[in-house]
Amino acid sequence: MVSDVIELSELEHDALTEVVNIGVSRAAASLRKMVGHQVLLSVPAVEIVTRQKAGVLLGERESNGLVAVEQNFSGAFAGRAMLIFPQAHSLALARAVAGDEISNEELADLEQEALAETGNVILNSCLATMANMLKRPLTMSIPTVNKGDASTLFSEPVKDDEDGPVLFLYINFSIHQRDLRGYIAMMMDMPSMHSLKDLLAEFIRQVVGDQE
Amino acid sequence: MPNSSDRWSATRSKPARVLQFRNRDGPKAVTAEPPSLASTDDKHSLLGQLRERLNISLLAAGAAGSWDWDISRNQLYLDDRMAALYGIDPAEADAGLATSIFFKAIYPGDANRIRIAVAGLLHGAELFFKTYRIITSDDQVCWVEAHGRCHFDAAGRPERFSGILVDVTERHRVEERLRIAQSAGGIGTFEHIPGHATVMVSHEFCRLLGLNSADVLPVVTINRLVKEGCPPLLEMGRQQGEDLTYSEIGVRRADNGEERWLARRGEAVRDVEGGGVRFIGVIYDVTESKRVEDALRHLNDTLEQRVEREIAERLQIEEALRQAQKMEAVGQLTGGIAHDFNNLLTVILGNVDMARSRLGNSGDERIERALANAQKGAERASALTQRLLAFSRRQPLAPKKILVSRLLQGMAELISRSLGETVILKTETTPDLWTVEADPNQLENAILNLAVNGRDAMDGSGTLTLTAANIPSGELLPSGEIASRDYLMLSVTDTGSGMSQEAVDRAFEPFFTTKEVGKGTGLGLSMVYGFVKQSGGDIHISSRLREGTTVCLYLPRAGDASADLSDQIIPGEQPSSLNETVLVVEDDEDVRQFAVECLLELGYQVIQAAGGREALSLLIERQEDVQLLVTDVVMPGLSGRQLAEAAQQLNPSLPILYVSGYPRDVILQDGRVKEGVELLSKPFTQQALAAKVRELLDQSVSVEV
Repeated sequence: MVSDVIELSELEHDALTEVVNIGVSRAAASLRKMVGHQVLLSVPAVEIVTRQKAGVLLGERESNGLVAVEQNFSGAFAGRAMLIFPQAHSLALARAVAGDEISNEELADLEQEALAETGNVILNSCLATMANMLKRPLTMSIPTVNKGDASTLFSEPVKDDEDGPVLFLYINFSIHQRDLRGYIAMMMDMPSMHSLKDLLAEFIRQVVGDQE
Repeated sequence: MPNSSDRWSATRSKPARVLQFRNRDGPKAVTAEPPSLASTDDKHSLLGQLRERLNISLLAAGAAGSWDWDISRNQLYLDDRMAALYGIDPAEADAGLATSIFFKAIYPGDANRIRIAVAGLLHGAELFFKTYRIITSDDQVCWVEAHGRCHFDAAGRPERFSGILVDVTERHRVEERLRIAQSAGGIGTFEHIPGHATVMVSHEFCRLLGLNSADVLPVVTINRLVKEGCPPLLEMGRQQGEDLTYSEIGVRRADNGEERWLARRGEAVRDVEGGGVRFIGVIYDVTESKRVEDALRHLNDTLEQRVEREIAERLQIEEALRQAQKMEAVGQLTGGIAHDFNNLLTVILGNVDMARSRLGNSGDERIERALANAQKGAERASALTQRLLAFSRRQPLAPKKILVSRLLQGMAELISRSLGETVILKTETTPDLWTVEADPNQLENAILNLAVNGRDAMDGSGTLTLTAANIPSGELLPSGEIASRDYLMLSVTDTGSGMSQEAVDRAFEPFFTTKEVGKGTGLGLSMVYGFVKQSGGDIHISSRLREGTTVCLYLPRAGDASADLSDQIIPGEQPSSLNETVLVVEDDEDVRQFAVECLLELGYQVIQAAGGREALSLLIERQEDVQLLVTDVVMPGLSGRQLAEAAQQLNPSLPILYVSGYPRDVILQDGRVKEGVELLSKPFTQQALAAKVRELLDQSVSVEV
């Protein structure tokens, strides 16, 4: 399992959660600007699992169809980031982003675009935060929207066929009185995971070392 | 147990905003209309009022204190309660403290974790939600839940980090107790509002189902683990009025597919908004008790059947035992009678024989006819005693390896002649039949006997089928037993009148016959039975009235495959008149007299003894002279065999002829004649005795040469 390869201490895990928390907060701020409403994203819960386990975890929590906004990234880390949420919430999310003014027909046309943009904002914020803290550049691909279920979303390998680690985040969205839930998954290769681990160690050293 | 909705409440209530009313150059109040104040005094009094109001609301919210961390100025402000908790002078806390004070009261084991979380806030994270321990000014450890939030300036830079502390010591204790109760007792809890697609569950709940730990799961995820035919663990459409009834539900664990039984209990709680209900319940594993219960129920349900079966089995065994004991008793009785009869018949037959040869051609024709009739009658009686001995399994057998198919071929003509023209004879044999080891003459007798029985049952017309087949060990025999070794099965089937079950049960008993008086002796099947049993085999009859009968013989497969079918060579009988000395030992006076007279007439020198001891002393006395020992087997005192052994010690080359109507195991080994021993069955004729004596004397001469 991943834990054999990527061993995160309790503090490193806390640090990872906070790094992601910073990213998610930036994402919430960006979304707020975008939709002009109060947007809150909850403190994320983070796990590092295998792709297979990620499929199981997601499958247990979501038994219906899912939508995923996917973006590949390269630079300080390389891999694929996905914003995943239940298909049933997809229109509501699009509505929240697009506003109440437009008609349902128009919304249906805009749905894909709205989802791609939302995903782009959230994923970009999370990844950019990490890259910033590593002080290394990161480039991201154009977002694509895919539909599927828990097992199919993780079936396509990032590169080669290794069962690489997945950074699996649970977050809840609250956009303008709508409660939506979603997941962020970042499939990374091993070098990226090691870079991340170094980042976390540095973060801890600064925070704990400084104040003690 | 904190869940996501708890996390919201902190930010929604936004207590930190009120703290912004502090009399400093901080951010402006967010309330719509800040009161316009005439004087500083007025300001102070209004501030006092607002603080008072804030305290009341914080108290009502259960807050143990609140803080405001000014990021740009690097100052920390605590309210009175939090200052008291930290043991800091409220005036100092109000004036502003070093930000490191925030961590001062935090329990050391939790401090680093909180430092990291705060660092996240200072670097741009928005929400702060942590549970940790603090050590209060009076050295008490208490659990607090911190709900904080970061505020950003127009440029998006973190500006203030403020929040409240809630004392959750009591709740934490209850939660710990609940958690331990759940894991120690293996009890998982759930909370479900009917109609909702998700359900709140405990970690133990997930563990019992083999799911990954989660606080909230879709109802379908849980219900799809339930085995077919069981009610769902959580009913989506449950009626509001109903309670959660106890039920046992079979599930297939999500992680390893193992089948388990879970019990579900719970209550309906009516406190949901709008008067609805929540179902709060528990599940726990009852697989083991369910298994025991099922096994017990099954045992109970089948008790009567099992008792009946046991009784039936026992009755069957008792019946078989009774039958076997009866056959054994009858066998002993008939064997005993046959033995005595043989002695009598030997005397009768021998004397009639002698009388006839003495009479020659010169005598009265009527006397000759009378003697001939007497001899015929005695011979028939002799045949009868042979059959009785056969049944009682005491006939000497000379087993040989037999190819049954060849034996049947050889018998075909004899059998079809016996059956007559109107009965069709069919022979069905499979190729590669195993060889058996049995006495071929007796086997032929048995087959012929069965064929004749079949013919009689068919009343002159029908089909008689002879079948031979291999029965490997392990196959089921018609008797219901499993074959313990390889057998060759030989069956004779007729299409005759069949037998009633009662007749089948008694068919092997001697003198039991279904034939008309005078038509059968009732000994045919008894003989076959005795022969098969003595040969280590078995016999079985199946019959249906008006349909026919099949008799199956099971003969053990011979150890060696090669069969010896060479015909027995009967040595030519040539009565000689030599002068060898023969010692005759026989306790029955009449039999001895007959034998002695026969031998004397043949020209032998005869000495005689009435018992073993007498014979032995004669042998010692006249050792040189005695060339042959003829002895009875069963005698009081020294038996024939003991005598023979003693005689052979004196003279190892002395030939010995046993004469017996009842050899039993004195000379039989496994029902066979011992090698090197000659046996003459009683009753015997003068000719038979003459032939045997000559044969032995000639053999011993050739051995000596």
